Amino acid sequence: MKYDAIVIGAGPSGSASAYTLAKNGYKVLLIERGSEPGAKNVSGAMIRESEISKVFETKDIPFERIVKRVRLIFRSKDDESEIVVKPKSKLYTISRLKFDKWLAQRAESAGALLITKTTVTGIEGNKVITERGSVEGDKIVIAEGANALLSMSLGLRRELKNEETVLGVKEVYASTRNEVEKRFNLQGDEGESWRIITDYPFPSAGFIYTYKDSVAIGVGARVDEIITMGIRPFELLDSFKTPYAELVKGFSLREYSAKIIPENGFPSFKPCEGSVYVAGDALGLVDPLTFDGIGPAIISGYLAGKAENCYSYSKMLFEAREISKVIKSRPLVKELLPNIGLYSHLVNDFLTSWVEGDFSKLKYYKSSLGKLMKHLILGLGVIE
Amino acid sequence: MRVEERLYTLRYKRDEKPHLEIKDQQVCNKCHETYKSPCITVCPANVYSFVEGKIIVSYENCLECGACKIVCPFNNIVWKYPRYGLGISLRYG
Repeated sequence: MKYDAIVIGAGPSGSASAYTLAKNGYKVLLIERGSEPGAKNVSGAMIRESEISKVFETKDIPFERIVKRVRLIFRSKDDESEIVVKPKSKLYTISRLKFDKWLAQRAESAGALLITKTTVTGIEGNKVITERGSVEGDKIVIAEGANALLSMSLGLRRELKNEETVLGVKEVYASTRNEVEKRFNLQGDEGESWRIITDYPFPSAGFIYTYKDSVAIGVGARVDEIITMGIRPFELLDSFKTPYAELVKGFSLREYSAKIIPENGFPSFKPCEGSVYVAGDALGLVDPLTFDGIGPAIISGYLAGKAENCYSYSKMLFEAREISKVIKSRPLVKELLPNIGLYSHLVNDFLTSWVEGDFSKLKYYKSSLGKLMKHLILGLGVIE
Repeated sequence: MRVEERLYTLRYKRDEKPHLEIKDQQVCNKCHETYKSPCITVCPANVYSFVEGKIIVSYENCLECGACKIVCPFNNIVWKYPRYGLGISLRYG
């Protein structure tokens, strides 16, 4: 059997790719290893409508809640400051199973053939080998996610290193719609997202997202830190969760999951060779500054579907705003990560000083001015 | 909360054939002595344990996150996906 294009993985980048190809008249096969799209996928998850709408019609997007407030929390052992942001653009929280299924259905409606419960085990030339047999495709898009076994077997990228990998662990607690709204002071479809940056017990970043009738809590830390500290991922989650225990008190734990998040990738990973294209997490496209992986995944999948050759794919990736900000953010984040403690103290001390009307506490930061300037300059580089 | 209680919340369809394998047990011994088996520390599902000088792999509990294959200093874990979409099946993700 021969297809014009075979897309491996029905996550955001794969479905975006299959949708784009099918819409342009290609005969497309979309292969997913999970029992249904989303069954193997994990994320917070918050999405930005402005990014999704570049590829898909978003009016019937299966969102959980529309994010009305984002709480940014800087926490150290003894201090905590909070900034509440009311986003002007449309942000949604989503549940991956529903969202990924919706994306794959867009691809199917455009004419792509989706097959699930099938793992691709290899690629030879234009032949895609699965445990159920092999198929041929003129174009192959690998959208296999962060554990990119195929891309690595083809030499398109290498394995991630401990220091460029974040391990995230997440729990979903369920109750009733009413109870979630009461605890977070929400009305109707409104939702709230929390971002928590902390250096205690060691540098990590966490989130709390409100779904319709449940709450997701998760935290991520670099794998090398986890190893050095000898802390187990679930112990890290427990320690992170303690101050927020009241939020989910009496709720029942519905799901525990984990995921690695690549903090390196394109352009140091090759996006394409011959007729094989790589997109999404497999290409390491998570924005380390905004934790946005789904947006860049969808854009890269769309571009992989559109590209006529490797050169143009690579060029389009560099030119796409969503992808270039990932690349530009990496050096800044590399600098910021070991200094999370400095910043959570700085934010706390600055806000406390302001409230108390005494800025003498900030004297301590004079010695860090050089470092702060460097970070500021790197930060300016992220701005287009 | 114990990790076992968390794992109870999950739906798994077990692949009879393990998708995780140790290439060489001796290498795990060496790793345990030198590095204290980072696969044990990093695994969010307690898949790996060191019992009487041997690494035991409870692959049925795997969350398929892939962290163990990255941390293994000797590249001693054969890490594959379960076949036919078996293994974990998430409801929220």
